Amino acid sequence: MSGENIREMRRLKMTTQLLAIIRYELLWNVRKKKLLGAIAAAFIITTLTLALPVIFGSVYNRPIKSDPNYVISNSGSGSLILFLFALVTTMNSISGEFESGTIIPLLAKPISRTLILTGKIIAAIFTVLAAYSLLYAYLVIGGIILYGPQDNLNLIPLCMLGDMLSTTVWMSIILATGALSKNTTLTTVIGVITFLAANIGTSIISFFTEGAWILHYFPGNGATGYIKTLGIIRSLNLSTGTDNIAKIIIQYMLNPSAHVTYVKIEMGGTQVSPPIFRELYSEPLSLVLFRALVVAATYITALLLLAWYAFKKTQVLE
Amino acid sequence: MSLAIETIDLTKRYGNIVAVNKLNIRVKSGTIHGFLGPNGAGKTTTIKILVGLLRPDGGRVIVLGEEIRESGPKVQSRIGYMPELPRFPKHLKGWELLDIYGQMYCIPSQERKSRIRRLLEIVGLKGRENDFIGEYSKGMQQRLGIAQALLSEPDLVILDEPSIGLDPVGMVDVREIIKDIARKGVTVFISSHLLSEVEQTCTHVSIINRGVCLAEGPLGDIIGKIAGSSVLEIEVAEGLDKIINIVRDLPFVSAVQVEGSRLIIESHVREDIRPKISRAITEAGGTIIYMNMRMKRLEEAFIRLIRGEDR
Repeated sequence: MSGENIREMRRLKMTTQLLAIIRYELLWNVRKKKLLGAIAAAFIITTLTLALPVIFGSVYNRPIKSDPNYVISNSGSGSLILFLFALVTTMNSISGEFESGTIIPLLAKPISRTLILTGKIIAAIFTVLAAYSLLYAYLVIGGIILYGPQDNLNLIPLCMLGDMLSTTVWMSIILATGALSKNTTLTTVIGVITFLAANIGTSIISFFTEGAWILHYFPGNGATGYIKTLGIIRSLNLSTGTDNIAKIIIQYMLNPSAHVTYVKIEMGGTQVSPPIFRELYSEPLSLVLFRALVVAATYITALLLLAWYAFKKTQVLE
Repeated sequence: MSLAIETIDLTKRYGNIVAVNKLNIRVKSGTIHGFLGPNGAGKTTTIKILVGLLRPDGGRVIVLGEEIRESGPKVQSRIGYMPELPRFPKHLKGWELLDIYGQMYCIPSQERKSRIRRLLEIVGLKGRENDFIGEYSKGMQQRLGIAQALLSEPDLVILDEPSIGLDPVGMVDVREIIKDIARKGVTVFISSHLLSEVEQTCTHVSIINRGVCLAEGPLGDIIGKIAGSSVLEIEVAEGLDKIINIVRDLPFVSAVQVEGSRLIIESHVREDIRPKISRAITEAGGTIIYMNMRMKRLEEAFIRLIRGEDR
């Protein structure tokens, strides 16, 4: 048999095995009650996003105006949804197998650990992508029904990819923790603490310090600023972290030449003095987007390599 | 005869504890080889090294002619392994699990289906294949464990305590399955603490304690060498002193004890020694008034060996 044929057979074998492990993991993911719970939570949040203006309008007797940008301006999933999807798909995909002992027959099969981990990651990504597809379809249909025909819907696939990238950062954190600890509870606790620190903590740091630039390199919500085009504030509160890639992509596609201006809140000297927003510095939105993508890619690569190394070196003692 | 498994000075430590200590075992191809030892003897550790779940700290492991350290998944495709108390993902159905595992062995789809159907019948899970594994009893999971170990039609089947959790009928079924696969020339390596099961199933055994191999070879030889193969209890009418000396000199007799008017004769051969003993006593002028023979069991050999080692 020629070398080419051997390589082809090896490729075919690897593909078959990869499909097997993806199927193994996908069947687990779609049958997880936790995933159904996370999807339900995401639908509730999206429903509120769609319905709150309608509810307030009816309470204050204001008619609902058609808004062609409603969907696109509300696209980009919130940090909680990103984190929840990552958590439910990956929290026990490695540690759970070790805890239950199901890893033993799996690792005794003629399939490399690298392929097992790759299959698990791909299955998690497919699962989350399917969930985002449902969510965005719901948002678009709901938006059209409530706020009339929508513009820029061609950006929705990009938005989904952005959300997927953001979710993959969290997945990588959780997978690496799971591969190192082999303990689902510990993995979940560390994941939740990291999420809270990366979202609540960074927002506080961003608003009250001048050193917020360092937050551009943290996962979650980074530094917060304003978007300005031609010196005019176009949008408030654009965060730079890895959780906001979809929102940054949309803003960049709509305003490629925009700048982001970072501010610091300074409290007044007395209780009656209003807080002062002091501008720190500005940078192009393109740079913000580029940096967010590079930071996300770096986190994903580094953490998945760590997860792979830990998984590959693990011995099954119990 | 070629070797299916060979370990040479195999060593595995957990911190300061030496679980496997320069272990040397040789499992001949085509045999049903029992792997025995008390709890903590290093059986499961050795098996986990054989199937690539643990890395040895020293020594060599050769499985089906390939060094296990280097071969990885390549040799794994020729091994069927059932862990002790196997656990499978509860979210999968029995059929789905076997189909996915079959896919991992790259068995073509149609072939996979027919093998799974046949195996489900053999292990007695036919009709339950579409139930979730979470709904299976321990015994059913054990049966599923055997089915997945045989799925790839391996050259070597390694079963770690295959009878745990099975009811008596299940134990008989497993015994028959093991004998059946061995008839096809497959080597079966069984770790078990159920000595009667091993005795009824295995042709060869290795007995280990504290990570060291104490005895190895054909089952009959091991029992004969360690415990003596049979015990004959005889009561003679008269001339006991003279008869003792005659019996003691017989080549197949390993020990003679006197208990009252009875002689307890131990033999190291696994054949019926009654005619020879009877002839020898009669020729010496003795009259046998009672004779009872029982074969020595693996259990006696095992206990004698382990206790001797522990002293």
